[in-house]
Amino acid sequence: MKKRISIFLVATVSLLVVLLDACKKGDAVTGVPGKVTTPLKLIIPAGWPQPSTDIFAGNPLTEEGFQLGRKLFYDGRLSKDGNFPCASCHQQFAAFATYDHQFSHGFNNTFTTRNAPAIFNLAWMKEMHWDGGINHIEVQPLAPITNQNEMAESMINVLLKLKPDTAYARLFTSAFGDATINSQRMLKALAQYMGSIQSYNSKYDQVKRGEAAFTVSEQNGYTTFKAKCNSCHTEPLFTDNSFRNNGLAVDPFLKDVGRMGITGNPSDSLKFKVPTLRNVELTFPYMHDGRAFSLSQVIDHYRSFIHTEQATIDPLLKNKLLISDQEKVDLANFLRSLTDKELLKDPRFAQPL
Amino acid sequence: MQTRFYLLVFAIVLLSGCQKTLETDSGNVAVKLTNMLGDGPITLESKTYINAVAEPYTVSKLRYYITNVRLIGTSSAAEAESYHLIDAEKPESLQFSFTAPSATFNSIEFLLGVDSTRNVSGAQTGALDPLNDMFWTWNSGYVMLKIEGNSPVSPVAGKKFEYHLGGFSGPNNVLKKIQLPFPAGKLASIQKGKTCEISIMANLDKLWAGPNALSIAATPVCTTPGAQALKIADNYQHMFTLSDVVNNK
Repeated sequence: MKKRISIFLVATVSLLVVLLDACKKGDAVTGVPGKVTTPLKLIIPAGWPQPSTDIFAGNPLTEEGFQLGRKLFYDGRLSKDGNFPCASCHQQFAAFATYDHQFSHGFNNTFTTRNAPAIFNLAWMKEMHWDGGINHIEVQPLAPITNQNEMAESMINVLLKLKPDTAYARLFTSAFGDATINSQRMLKALAQYMGSIQSYNSKYDQVKRGEAAFTVSEQNGYTTFKAKCNSCHTEPLFTDNSFRNNGLAVDPFLKDVGRMGITGNPSDSLKFKVPTLRNVELTFPYMHDGRAFSLSQVIDHYRSFIHTEQATIDPLLKNKLLISDQEKVDLANFLRSLTDKELLKDPRFAQPL
Repeated sequence: MQTRFYLLVFAIVLLSGCQKTLETDSGNVAVKLTNMLGDGPITLESKTYINAVAEPYTVSKLRYYITNVRLIGTSSAAEAESYHLIDAEKPESLQFSFTAPSATFNSIEFLLGVDSTRNVSGAQTGALDPLNDMFWTWNSGYVMLKIEGNSPVSPVAGKKFEYHLGGFSGPNNVLKKIQLPFPAGKLASIQKGKTCEISIMANLDKLWAGPNALSIAATPVCTTPGAQALKIADNYQHMFTLSDVVNNK
């Protein structure tokens, strides 16, 4: 009797397994049946707000997807002549901005028209680009890939170049369950890699966690920061993700109207996204068009050179900012405490071998 | 014995959870579109047409989205994952079909364009794949209708005209909900195992006329969301007419 029960048990369980497997939905994102993907979780550091939207909704974050995205990010084949992978403008040692370049270099000796933004903590960013024109992390790469003064390639050609590569066949299979290479999977994988780049281990963060102490100058700079800067460059992300006109003179060649180019609304004229100040030591030059090469120049802009006469000038900057010379030195020292050295060297985000 | 019983119950509960609803009483709906221009179906490149303001032109490209297709009666029947890119260069794109429960319906409804949700939901595939060249990369969102061609009156290089019409949010929304009632005596009757064929004509002449006359000489290009795109969309929303319903095919 006992034996019969155990045979029945085995039979029932195996039947169950087979049947359940058969009625599983053929959702490629969840991977191959029998082959398990390794789920990853976005880290929400203590004291941080929850992201307002889940950038990984419909794109479950996995180690396999991340690794595929990482390879794509460093692959020059995403550009027309092979010379411009995403990483050519988004360099890890510069917190994924372009180091020491007002504008980045694009295909055929071209320049971009805006300063390359740093890439990290994107899960907390609702819209991307200086003008907020991109509404989802997955569709962002379409812009630089196809832009004639960036990577200058078509998505059709990118896929044609990737498809014969057996390494990609393997990586797409482990990430998405089969070797199909299409734009959706490519973009989702890139989103997994880019969305995983996080910065929360600067000296500032260590101080907040009680693991380090500010110098006197940094502490004074922090006090000035909280009084003069924090309403737009809001902690802990050091941006409130809003669009504001900070009163820069309009460049006569670029004539960049910023956010208005997206919304068509004159009240958005000359407004640009407030950039994060995390890793600001490395993301120079500053401003949407990289016109300021040092923190000193930036602070001088806010205390002396704001074009307060502009119609859409931010109300908080109407009277410029009162910052003394001593406060300026301390503020710059505080801003350098936002450098996350771990991120800059983290082998997880480096070019895959 | 008890173990056996519980296992059986467990199995039944689990399996019933994944059972598909059996659509025993349903039929097929086939939608056929004909793009009309001038006196007949549109001819790309080779035929010269005259618009409402007497400008001659040829058409090289015509694409638009029909999405969220539903039949409406006492109940409504929506097509699942309902996204269709109609492309004048691809005859196979001019028809699509889906299943609907057996019932009689009074009208067909669809969106001319891609609903706002899919405009903000990241990378899509199929009809919505950015490879179809109907997605703006610099200002995320779909081009709902694209028509390109040439005209001797065009003031731009290559004598081209180019309208890429989109915008899905706030005041820039060009999405149009189209509802076409079936005439009395020609209601769509879905019957088990049969196909109901619904033929729709899209009269592209409406692009130029309607509330806002459009001139190639004055407006050869419109490729951003905004006031001009809204004006053109207000014209072309009237382009659809129902031409026939054939039941029991």
